[in-house]
Amino acid sequence: MLGRIRSLLGLAKGSGQEAPPFRTVFKNFKEVLENNNRALEIIAELGDKLGGDYLFDINYIKSAYSDLAGAVYGSIQNFDVLTMNRYPQLHEVFSRIDDHIKTLIYDVTPSRGEMVLDYKDITWNMFREVGGKNAALAEMKNYLKLNIPDAFAVTTHAFDAFMAHNGLPEKIEAIRENPDPRSLERLRSEIIRGEIPPDLAVALQGAVERIRETFGRDCFLAVRSSAEEEDGDFSFAGQFETVLNVQARSKAVGEAYKKVLASLFSENSVAYQKMHGYRVGDIKMAVGCLVMVDAAKSGVIYSVAPNGDRDILVINSTWGLGTSVVEGQTDADMYMVKKEVEPLVVGTKYGRKDSMVIMREEGGTVKVRPAEEMVEAGTLAEEEVKALAAQAVQIEKHFRRPQDIEWAIDKSGKAFILQSRPLRIPEVVREGSGRREEYAAPHGVLMENMGVVVQKGVGAGRVFVVRHPGELDRFPKGSVLVAKFDSSNFVRVMPYVSAIITDTGTPTSHMASLCREFRVPTLVNTGAATRLLQHGQEITLKAGDDGAVVYDGVVRELLEYDDRNSLKMEELFEFRKRRYVLRYISVLNLVDPLIDAFTPEGCKTMHDILRFIHEKSVGELVERARYGNDMVKHHMAIKLDLPIPTGIMIVDIGGGLAAGGAPRSATLEQIVSVPLRAIVKGMMHPGVWHADAVSLGVNDFISSMMRMPDITTDGRDYAGYNVAVASGEYVNLSIRFGYHFNMLDCYCSENARNNHVYFRFVGGATDIVKRSRRVELIAAILREYGFNIVAKGDLVIGRLANISKGELEKVLDHLGRLIGYTRQLDAVLNDDSSVERFARNFLEERYTF
Amino acid sequence: MQGQKIMVIDDEKIVGDMAKLALEQDGFYVETFLNGEPALERLKKEQFDVVVTDLKMKGIDGMEVLRTVKRLYPETKVIMITAFANLDAAIEALRGDVHDFFPKPVKIKELKASIQRALER
Repeated sequence: MLGRIRSLLGLAKGSGQEAPPFRTVFKNFKEVLENNNRALEIIAELGDKLGGDYLFDINYIKSAYSDLAGAVYGSIQNFDVLTMNRYPQLHEVFSRIDDHIKTLIYDVTPSRGEMVLDYKDITWNMFREVGGKNAALAEMKNYLKLNIPDAFAVTTHAFDAFMAHNGLPEKIEAIRENPDPRSLERLRSEIIRGEIPPDLAVALQGAVERIRETFGRDCFLAVRSSAEEEDGDFSFAGQFETVLNVQARSKAVGEAYKKVLASLFSENSVAYQKMHGYRVGDIKMAVGCLVMVDAAKSGVIYSVAPNGDRDILVINSTWGLGTSVVEGQTDADMYMVKKEVEPLVVGTKYGRKDSMVIMREEGGTVKVRPAEEMVEAGTLAEEEVKALAAQAVQIEKHFRRPQDIEWAIDKSGKAFILQSRPLRIPEVVREGSGRREEYAAPHGVLMENMGVVVQKGVGAGRVFVVRHPGELDRFPKGSVLVAKFDSSNFVRVMPYVSAIITDTGTPTSHMASLCREFRVPTLVNTGAATRLLQHGQEITLKAGDDGAVVYDGVVRELLEYDDRNSLKMEELFEFRKRRYVLRYISVLNLVDPLIDAFTPEGCKTMHDILRFIHEKSVGELVERARYGNDMVKHHMAIKLDLPIPTGIMIVDIGGGLAAGGAPRSATLEQIVSVPLRAIVKGMMHPGVWHADAVSLGVNDFISSMMRMPDITTDGRDYAGYNVAVASGEYVNLSIRFGYHFNMLDCYCSENARNNHVYFRFVGGATDIVKRSRRVELIAAILREYGFNIVAKGDLVIGRLANISKGELEKVLDHLGRLIGYTRQLDAVLNDDSSVERFARNFLEERYTF
Repeated sequence: MQGQKIMVIDDEKIVGDMAKLALEQDGFYVETFLNGEPALERLKKEQFDVVVTDLKMKGIDGMEVLRTVKRLYPETKVIMITAFANLDAAIEALRGDVHDFFPKPVKIKELKASIQRALER
């Protein structure tokens, strides 16, 4: 009965269905790949067309997205068949993401939405509901993971409700054409005296209560304006009210809220609105309530120097709260910082800070005189300056235009970003508009006509060569990432990367789509980047329609040229709004298959779904093929005849072996399965296959006797068979030599994106120390080939995907060698240093022990 | 081509916004319209060197824009942009009268090159 219920709920593995024969499994797998490819191609295309080089309209997005949704859904259906409906949640996830996307492209704005929204629930497309300031802050908090105070937004829906509840829309209508000062004043006082509608009051109270639960009863808030258009295309700087240090109680917050609303109708603000073509009542006011930062010091950053010099950012800083800096009331300190990989302070001027604004214990703020020794002392330590500068660079890069940023550092030394909005600066027109190439003339060319451009643009910085994912933790901001392989792991550093150059890789990989998303100038498949570019060297990559060039040194003129010409589209609100749809399409969150979030529920985008399906499909194939022994019985298994005694039986599931030859055996020449052939060739590489078995020590022998039946057999009897299940482009090889069990699953086709190799090694027959040395050795070797590795006990699993056929054949050849090489390894791994020695020997193709 | 005048008509704001930004960078003077009526009103008052218009729009569509432009200023060049699906029909119907056709999405570089050619003649 229980089983029946479980199967009804789809909980039982395979739901009691009969497992289909492996040929069918393999066919399903290939169908998943096909749909996945189609979907990834559409994603790449969308990224390209929405990149700023094309005029596009919403119809294009609609039609491309409809193709994409079809392909992803098709992929899910094939995946269901392959996994026998083991991931029903994927459907729900798909329709959730689909809903989000449709809301964006069909411009559906809920007519009655939430009155209050926590920052964590705000996405950038809610611009109209939460206003520009809230949207930008939530974006920095949720997406850039910057330190933003906890906060909630009171939306424009709340504004509508408040105005309607107090009968104000009619009054606004009456003065719409001719708002004289007296009627504006009357309007403001009606707002101040107005009643908060009951449902808004309840929502506000709930939000305030949640803040108090987290920050204690004595918590205070900053209540700030966030008008619909504020900080978007127009800054409205200083037009609206901000009420600081408001007690976190609903009554006080309600009063402050009304003050902020009223400021929308101040004389100055109405005049400003009129200047920009708005009439009274055109703009709605949302409000942000942020937990107050008890600032020891605070101020403003201009991410570009006021004279337009884009290399320099300026930090103004004063003691206490930043209001005096923002309003220019105090003579603040000024730090000029050169934007480099390691920000460089190039100028400091200490102001005479003879007043400071601080929070009053009972609420509100008060101006006081700082202690005498503080008046002329510098407010920021060099480290603080650098940390603030780095954040400013990140924000500017994300919003892709110069920023005016408010910040504060609290008494414990923690830095917060309080606001960021576009900074208008004078356009710097440089003398002489020579061709781009002329600028670069004095610089040496390091690489030219190599590789494939994935994302156009110019990027410069110091080369940082990444050999394995762990090194990403040390990646310096602003560097150029150079690597042998392309990897979606690089997403971790995408916001900090100036450019990416790899030896291998394709323009349709996961990484490539991330590069387009982050607009990181990227060149892949150069064949030689890691050889030609030195770690630490300064270079400039110029990637364009006509190919790419890598110059020696930083060619500043090229960077500026690029800045002026390609990034401007970002300033268009419509452009940013339309592109936002890519957040739910091409962003990749599921980067690492080994993390807990690698689940259907962890999928936040269409790209995530495709990634999940691909990874799990490979897993499914690997699992099914493991039972190759059954297939040996049921299919015609053919013995492979080689000069070396591998004892491999081949199960041909289609196109793995050439016709003809002896009835029950095959030679190397007959293997047409691309991956199997490459592996076998590797095994036969001269010197790899040691004819003499190295003798096991007595201890090794005893410990092998003591061990439990190992996981390699899964309780089944593999004895005697080494099995290769093969088709023209696929192989699953289970091979056992003595106590070593190797399993290799590989798809190797012309389409790099379809390709994967999964290698698993488990060993026994020796003591634990030697076993772990062996694991270390194999892991070290696999890493060199770009594998992602998991190693546990005496198990090593390596995965590698999205690799061109040629490259993959080379890797398989070496894996073949590795299987042969490690066969005799245990007995010689006598000390830790031997691990490194043998790994080096192997990589340098010295195979004698 | 400093100051030469381009008009862009498309019922989607993003098309006009992006075109304006891109063309202004090359020194053109650009005006954009979201539909045909005000565009034609403007054209009656002033001549433009090139008119870039969407084919399918509510009210006055690209065809009518083309006819009016040609009647008022035979030497003004018209570039038609249209959804990919409508392209064949459009090319057939308008052969000879328009300077160029582009299916959307339009590569900005190609549009600029086409405008360049239109102005050279």
